Amino acid sequence: MIAIAPVQDEMLCSGHAACPGCIDALAARHILAAMGPDTMAVIPPSCMAIIAGPQPMSSLKIPVYQPTLESSAAAASGLRRALDAQGKRDTQVLVLAGDGGTYDIGFQCLSSAAERNEDILYVCLDNEGYMNTGAQKSSSTPHFARTGSTPSGKLSRKKNMVEIMAAHGIPYVATASASHLADLRYKVEKAKAIRGTRFITVLIPCLDGWGLPDDAGLTAARYAVESGAFPLYEIEDGARVTLNVTARPRPVADYLALQRRYRGMAEADVATLQAEVDAAWEALERRAAAGAAAPA
Amino acid sequence: MDAIAKSARGATQLLTGNEAVAWGARLARPQVCPVYPITPQTPVLETLTAFQAEGTFDAEIITPESEHSVMSACIPASLAGTRVFTATASQGLLLMHELLHYASGARAPIVMANVNRTVASPWAFWPDQTDSLAQRDTGWVQLYVESAQEALDSVIQAFRVAEQALLPVMVSLDAFYVSHAMEPVDVPAQADVDAFLPPFAPERRLDTAQPSSWGNVVSQDMYYRHRQAIEEAMARVPALLAQADGDWQRRFGRGWGVVERYRCDGAQAVVVTMGSMCGTARVAVDDMREAGLPVGLVKVRLFRPLPVAALRAACAGVRDVVVLDRNHSPGAGGVLHQELRAALYGTTNAPRIHGLLAGVGGVNVPPRKIAEFVREARDSEPRPESVWVR
Amino acid sequence: MNSIPPIWTTATTESIRTGTWRAALPRHVQASSPCREACPVSGDIATWIGLARERDFRGAWEALTRHNPFPAIAGRICHHPCEAACNRAGFDEALSICKLERFVGDLAIERGWAFEAPTVEREERVAIVGGGPAGLSAAFQLRRLGYRVTLVEARGELGGLMRHGIPSYRLAREVLDAEVARVVALGVDVRLNAKPEAAPAWAELRRTHDAVFVATGAQRQKRLPALDYGQPWVADGAAWLASANAGEIPALGKRLVVIGGGSAALDVARSARRAGHEVTLLALEARGQMPAQREEVDEALEEGIALVDGAMLQEASHAGGEVRLACRRVRFVPGERRGQFSVVPFADGAFELRADAIVTSIGQDPDTAALGDGVALDGSLVAVDAQQATARDDTWAGGDVASMARFVTDAIGQGKRAAFAIDRALRARRGEAPAAERWRPGPAAAIAIEASVPLPAIATHAYAPQARAAARRLEPAARLASGAEVQLALDIEQALAETTRCFSCGTCIRCDTCVAVCPDLAVVREGDGYRVLGDYCKGCGLCVKECPTGSMDMVQEVR
Repeated sequence: MIAIAPVQDEMLCSGHAACPGCIDALAARHILAAMGPDTMAVIPPSCMAIIAGPQPMSSLKIPVYQPTLESSAAAASGLRRALDAQGKRDTQVLVLAGDGGTYDIGFQCLSSAAERNEDILYVCLDNEGYMNTGAQKSSSTPHFARTGSTPSGKLSRKKNMVEIMAAHGIPYVATASASHLADLRYKVEKAKAIRGTRFITVLIPCLDGWGLPDDAGLTAARYAVESGAFPLYEIEDGARVTLNVTARPRPVADYLALQRRYRGMAEADVATLQAEVDAAWEALERRAAAGAAAPA
Repeated sequence: MDAIAKSARGATQLLTGNEAVAWGARLARPQVCPVYPITPQTPVLETLTAFQAEGTFDAEIITPESEHSVMSACIPASLAGTRVFTATASQGLLLMHELLHYASGARAPIVMANVNRTVASPWAFWPDQTDSLAQRDTGWVQLYVESAQEALDSVIQAFRVAEQALLPVMVSLDAFYVSHAMEPVDVPAQADVDAFLPPFAPERRLDTAQPSSWGNVVSQDMYYRHRQAIEEAMARVPALLAQADGDWQRRFGRGWGVVERYRCDGAQAVVVTMGSMCGTARVAVDDMREAGLPVGLVKVRLFRPLPVAALRAACAGVRDVVVLDRNHSPGAGGVLHQELRAALYGTTNAPRIHGLLAGVGGVNVPPRKIAEFVREARDSEPRPESVWVR
Repeated sequence: MNSIPPIWTTATTESIRTGTWRAALPRHVQASSPCREACPVSGDIATWIGLARERDFRGAWEALTRHNPFPAIAGRICHHPCEAACNRAGFDEALSICKLERFVGDLAIERGWAFEAPTVEREERVAIVGGGPAGLSAAFQLRRLGYRVTLVEARGELGGLMRHGIPSYRLAREVLDAEVARVVALGVDVRLNAKPEAAPAWAELRRTHDAVFVATGAQRQKRLPALDYGQPWVADGAAWLASANAGEIPALGKRLVVIGGGSAALDVARSARRAGHEVTLLALEARGQMPAQREEVDEALEEGIALVDGAMLQEASHAGGEVRLACRRVRFVPGERRGQFSVVPFADGAFELRADAIVTSIGQDPDTAALGDGVALDGSLVAVDAQQATARDDTWAGGDVASMARFVTDAIGQGKRAAFAIDRALRARRGEAPAAERWRPGPAAAIAIEASVPLPAIATHAYAPQARAAARRLEPAARLASGAEVQLALDIEQALAETTRCFSCGTCIRCDTCVAVCPDLAVVREGDGYRVLGDYCKGCGLCVKECPTGSMDMVQEVR
């Protein structure tokens, strides 16, 4: 049956400037609620920065520091250490960055922060492109997706940020989707209880950038999970893999058909993408099985 | 004598400029120090980490992958209400450029030492102030120091000024001539420094107990007002520095001024310069005075904001002003030359200003050369552009 | 001096009214469901299933019986059009609504639950003629509304067709007795073995009562013109069944051909099978067209009855000690109205059946001769409008006397409709406002709408596929040997599991999904329902799209 945990201690306010139906705002709402009031957010330029509100009005009930686009993890490190110096070790530092600010321009300092195992929770609100500037490609944009900078479809595949982050050996890396709110809340709460660098990338269907109706964001997110295009999984200490949703009942074509960014995609390309998803899924399943067998 | 004992009582030590900077930082008790190594600043980092290893320095030291991340970390740490120190040089400073604007916009009173080094390309590792002077529009207060002692004292004074004005302050020292030259330095006692520099306690900060946010998008009007506020803060800096330096002088028996006038009484010509060049110029002035020439030195310690009133006063009644620029702004020449021309423009009986690009790229400028430049200037018409000399 | 930069952000966005962006506003609604729309009694199915899911079986029974006093009966014999309409069928399998109803009804009998006495007693008297499902349903509703009800029944026991038409292997007599007694216990003045035979008797009823509800059923057997019903080897189905149900099996020889395709014919055939006959069922309709429920046909075949469908009797004769039936294959073409049809014989479709006797069960017509002046007819039926009103303003009619919809629950629904129509009419005579006809089961905050929720309005991803509760039946041999009920009840685990399959179409289950999925925090729980904050709602429709029960809809706004 239906099981959605009641939302308590809302940390996001109404009146923010997200588009109607925005999944970025929805995901942030649940992430913030799970984090609670003793949290500081670092939000680089992104849709989330717009959602955070025009000065002097904030949509977040916690302090927000907005750094430059490329410096979120470094800024979060500085904030973390300042809090440590003040003895506020229990105050959480939460980054809410986009995929541009994470996979691309902010990647260098993120890798560095992860290498230092800075005690921060870095959440990438991954809408698979530069959506705040009107939908151009990022290295998170999937194969074949059309954007303003890839009008014929992107020629290369989505960067596997999860594996890259896991390769740093940080304690917690996970994917999440707003379509699976209970799983998202669970992961944020789990991450919150861990010290060190924690990284969660949350799939955020962008209504405008992906070409979706206002009420279809969660449907697209759900199809992404159900088709295996965006598997929900966790990697702990760089090694233990847990696949959170093990069923894959939907072909990728279902997921693609929802979105205008895949309009007019050739059958062969759909098959290619399906094969890529299949291969990645099977590899993940093998690792999950191996992870389950390995001693904790 | 161990370091802790020295610190408690104050003592004279033989220190390089970089070590003096590290001592200044240690005595200022910063809580967060993000830092990235770069020649010739590296000894600052290593001295600080050595202090930490021996237990005399308990700041959170962050060692990110770049100077860019260093400054990125500095700003929110400062906004969270901690005292923040860092140091860099040359390319590192250039890599920080975007964040330098960001820091001043955030009114983050960070103090940073910069070891002035040539900027690439081509690669070079010589004293040259182009790196920091290229940051003159970033909203940072800039001090240029002549010696290791001044470096130590300036770092501590810089925190006081920065935290009063809520502006970041850069303390620049020339590569090698200051950074690596060893000299006896009076290291003040910790308690005396504590009395001079109260803990950093900003009224507004990032604090979960009283949530407020920094960086949200503002309207045109707010942006305009914000820039005005920065300008007003900058305008207070010469007085704040003078006050801090005066207090320092009372407590420690030495001061450095905002603009130093050296043997300027009755001078018909003055040499105007910054940093280590001042030391050489002092010798040249002494020599020229000995030869009967009425020549003085005007040392620009505070470059940003440019202390216009003090400079006008220092140059009043002087016939020839000879500016020595160890920097190069292509198309504009010497930065100090242009700044001084602008500062003195429209004053009654304005002096003749001679801009000389001397020592660019670390080229040696001995005292006799300076005397030669002064004599040539006295006998020639000043030109609007800077002149390459060596 | 520490000057505070004026540019920190210290307020919240709650002062920004993003509601001005939208063109449509969602609202929390209590809507109808396909099952309710299909239900002959318009039962609040999602509501009572929801209560059962929460193990509030008493509440479930009360919600159920607001529309139908016979859940244990209907749970056995209803043709359950609700299940054909069930949205869940488009997801995996339809909900087993009928069996759930039986579960709740049986529990009520087991625990001896009784109806609460009416909260008010009214002066007006209503006469109900006919103690079958329509009459009893009307009596129940009218008593609950406080009317003084006289129930006139021609036979010696109440129940009508439920007693003399439906065999006990489909409807156990103790169940029938219990649910009928519970209605009578509400304070119905029952007059058995009484029947207004002629116009003066009807006139007397009208004189002594404020309204009359005619629910006399359809007693007159239709007969095949090709058959001589004077022959000992020809019998009427209803008469045969009434005897059989009374325990007196007519002696007709071993082999019977039962003619008919409806439930009554199946009841005759299966009762005869239980009495030891070899039975062939001859139906005009092809198997899929037969008006009997498919389960009944399946069960009959399991019990060894031979079905000859799509065929008609042309001539019957008795020779050599047996009956010879000359038959022909035909194509059955349904007519526009229920009960109308034509047949197209196949040219070379002649065949012969042999038997010892024929029992026909091809339908009944009502006896409308004595109803009195002013009650207009429509063919063989009493003519009624949608509210069961006849042409006389003091007479209403329902059940088989007025309808070709011959299922028991159709009659119950008509009885309920008539009761509310009578109530409205009698209140109108006194200038009173009508009582609320429909009990609104939803949250007070929800806006009641009549539209039914279609499958696309259900966020089906909220449900996991789950097989429908397996229908369990007595083994055929045991059925024939014992005569016990064929259909077996769900056990409590099955019933509870089945309740979780319900999509609760149009009936909010207060799951908070609408609250949880709003990016603007513009849906809030209020009391037992939800309120959309117009100040902030941007009209995206996520709360509508993600609602697992179709309890949110969008209304366009014109600004």
